[in-house]
Amino acid sequence: MITDAAQYLISALSLGGLYALMALGLVIVYGILKLINFAYGELIMVAGYGMLIIGRSPWPWIFVAILSVICAILAALVMERVAFRPVRNSSPTTMLITSFAVSALLQNLALLIISPRPQVPRLPDYFSRNFSVRGVRIAALDLMGLIVSVLALILLTLFLRRTVIGLSLRAAADDFTMTRLMGVRANMVIAVAFAISGLMAGIVALFWIGNTRSTTPTIGLEPVLIAFIASVVGGMSSMKGAVLGGYVLGFLTIGLQTWLPQDINAYRDAVLFGIVILVLLVRPEGIVRPAYSREAR
Amino acid sequence: MKYIETSNRAVWSRLSTPVILVAIVLMIAAITMVREDVVFERVVIVMFINLLLVVGLQTFMGNSGLGSFGQYAFVLIGAYASIWFSLTPQQKNLALPDMPKDWWLYDQQYPFVAAVLAAGLVAMVVGAIIGIAFVRLRGASFTIATFAFLIVVHSVALQWEQVTRGSRTVIGIPRYTSLWIAAAWAIAVILVGYVFKESTIGLKLRASREDEDAAASIGVNVKLMRWLGWTLSVFLSGIGGALWAHFIQQFSPQSFYLKETFLIVAMLVIGGSASVSGAVIGAVAVAMTSEGMRQFENWWNLERQTETDIGAILPFQLIGFTEIVIALAMILILVLRPSGIMGGRELSWPFGSSGGPPATVVEDAQPAALAHQDPVS
Amino acid sequence: MSYLLVDDLHVRYGAIAAVRGVSLRVDAGEVVGLIGVNGAGKSTTMSSIVGVVKPFSGSISFDRRELVGQSPEAILRLGLAPVMEGRRIFPSLTVEENLRLGAATVADKQQVQEDMDRWCAFFPALQERFTKPAGTLSGGQQQMLAVARALMSRPKMLLMDEPSLGLAPKLVAEVFQLIVELRDLGMTILLVEQNVRMTLDIVDRVYLLSSGQVEFDGTANELRARGDIERAYLHGAGSSSIAVG
Repeated sequence: MITDAAQYLISALSLGGLYALMALGLVIVYGILKLINFAYGELIMVAGYGMLIIGRSPWPWIFVAILSVICAILAALVMERVAFRPVRNSSPTTMLITSFAVSALLQNLALLIISPRPQVPRLPDYFSRNFSVRGVRIAALDLMGLIVSVLALILLTLFLRRTVIGLSLRAAADDFTMTRLMGVRANMVIAVAFAISGLMAGIVALFWIGNTRSTTPTIGLEPVLIAFIASVVGGMSSMKGAVLGGYVLGFLTIGLQTWLPQDINAYRDAVLFGIVILVLLVRPEGIVRPAYSREAR
Repeated sequence: MKYIETSNRAVWSRLSTPVILVAIVLMIAAITMVREDVVFERVVIVMFINLLLVVGLQTFMGNSGLGSFGQYAFVLIGAYASIWFSLTPQQKNLALPDMPKDWWLYDQQYPFVAAVLAAGLVAMVVGAIIGIAFVRLRGASFTIATFAFLIVVHSVALQWEQVTRGSRTVIGIPRYTSLWIAAAWAIAVILVGYVFKESTIGLKLRASREDEDAAASIGVNVKLMRWLGWTLSVFLSGIGGALWAHFIQQFSPQSFYLKETFLIVAMLVIGGSASVSGAVIGAVAVAMTSEGMRQFENWWNLERQTETDIGAILPFQLIGFTEIVIALAMILILVLRPSGIMGGRELSWPFGSSGGPPATVVEDAQPAALAHQDPVS
Repeated sequence: MSYLLVDDLHVRYGAIAAVRGVSLRVDAGEVVGLIGVNGAGKSTTMSSIVGVVKPFSGSISFDRRELVGQSPEAILRLGLAPVMEGRRIFPSLTVEENLRLGAATVADKQQVQEDMDRWCAFFPALQERFTKPAGTLSGGQQQMLAVARALMSRPKMLLMDEPSLGLAPKLVAEVFQLIVELRDLGMTILLVEQNVRMTLDIVDRVYLLSSGQVEFDGTANELRARGDIERAYLHGAGSSSIAVG
């Protein structure tokens, strides 16, 4: 019993951490620009293909991993500069549609330039190792995912609390214009937000692909949908909400997988997105309530 | 129908739009018939169905200013519903083997036109119910909700084997959608879309597009207008699904998902969502360009395989090239000319601009001033 | 020497002309008032100076540098700090973080710390609530925070847009007292206000705006002497409209 619970806990925390990072990557851009970046999934795809191509070199895997994450960050910055900056002042619907188009563009570029077939990137052996601690079977990948995601969250929190840029990001989510009136450059803040988004996507890619063991042009779809659900449910305007949503979703997913019979589990997507619709209708700001009242202007 | 301008010239101008659009469809159909090229005919039928869907989408998106990614949920419903009503029980054995033989649906079989309309109605009922909840939502929340709905329907369709055969392909559907049938339905939908836009309801809806609060303050029941536009749009989408089902003759829930949604939205955005002409032009332009691209792709891939010099220069296969061009075109339009090719105007004769200001679904009214961002509720 | 010079400013929102040929100047060390009823164009003028709104025509210069066309960030870096209408502090950031952000353009960490200490001493309420989210502060406290935050960048000039709006009378008096103290410290201030009476008490000069145009420009006493103007544009002297919310 206890071993089951421990196994569940570790899997759920690991998956939840990953989902939390995913949701955060989405929300950090949304908070400032009110842009829901569909093309976020393609950042994961870029990292995946980075792993594929750079993995062909003889370098140690940790190098490959870091470079792949950098690829995702660069892709995010380019995306911002080329596609999103021009539509920055448009309505949220326009921006949403633009991100949809960017997503389609990138997927098809991958299809064209690389291949529609799944490709297997080089992965380190320790990714497939399992070990036992007092009867609890732990997958090394899960453990690493857990540790890395928690670390990333801690570092990000420190960044957002202690540095001026981090403060600017949080302030921009409250009131973008006022942040500019503090002398903070708009372009810089937005670029940093996208870069963080890319960083999150890159880290997620490492563990996602570590799990699925292959990368395809459409690999970004499932993560972005998950990030989406987690953020809407947790509250799109709140980074804390995104993290919470991610963990809740992680726990829910593992729980359902473990305990629900297969045929009901197949309706999982319908249920999850049904919940999204419900949240939007009933409590659009998400589950997490801000700790103060927003000042009306 | 009420018109704002009352001069004769303006009236003729307004009436000329549907005439021109219908003429375009007829002309294309006539050319196709004359060419007697089976491949080309297929392309044109697909284009007509897509055109119908784009106009259906325009009916809601263009007039309300709200984005919808959920249209294909209703296309799916329309497609499956249409075969419930058009197939004989024997045909159903083949197409939907899991449907219980004692269900009322099993025995239903009607002429094609009735089946299409019934399909539209089924979609409309679902849409109407959902719409009641959705019209309360603002802006992007609405769009997200429609997107979520698409996924829900897709997911349910993949499971509900008695009515959809689950994830497996439904086969054995007779080909009822011919060139002229597709053209006729496309024309009908164009007319419906145009009449709606110019009607009082359409007018009120368009007023809410520009400024929701201002419209409400002059007595427009914004939610009701939205619901009406949405319900009509859903009905038209269901019809499109029915026509598609009886053209393609086999499909699964995968045929009604993100790729297809992207294509229709792209067509509408490129053509210009604020006018029916925009929808038509967008559909035609994208279809023609796609076809051109596809032929280019084929030529390219074939040339590669030959031993000629050209074959050596083209080192890679072209896959997905068409989609890339469409995506690029869409991005360019969104960045450079968000109101689309038609710019919100209708085609009319004499070639004046008959139609509203170049505002669009997607433009934020921020004129001379760099106004600060409002918090999105 | 003119610090801030606005010359024939025209600002439009679509077809509506909100500001029609406004010219004003503020000299170093002055407190200049910009008064008028709701909708007269005061806030629009302020927003144009600050860079949030792009004027249709006209020029705005500060310290002989042209402001029109510059971004809000750049304008702050030139030394013009705004205290915007409605306070607009960052509700999810703490008082400390708000202040720190006010000094975003200051590289010298020591200076930032010194200034934070200084303004917290000046505004004890801020010291008390130093680590609380700014959204939990009362209206008056938020106003103090907004001013302190603007001062953190050691600006050459303060632009204050309706600082007394929505505050209880006692707090209104405190705010105006604060402005006097700031002036005594040498700060140059352009004050947009609806509270005419208290504004006239503290400013060196005043501009009266109506329907987007300057109807009067002179000292407070000169305005008080012009009963006709007060009646025409301010709906009666002395009974200044203390703005409600």
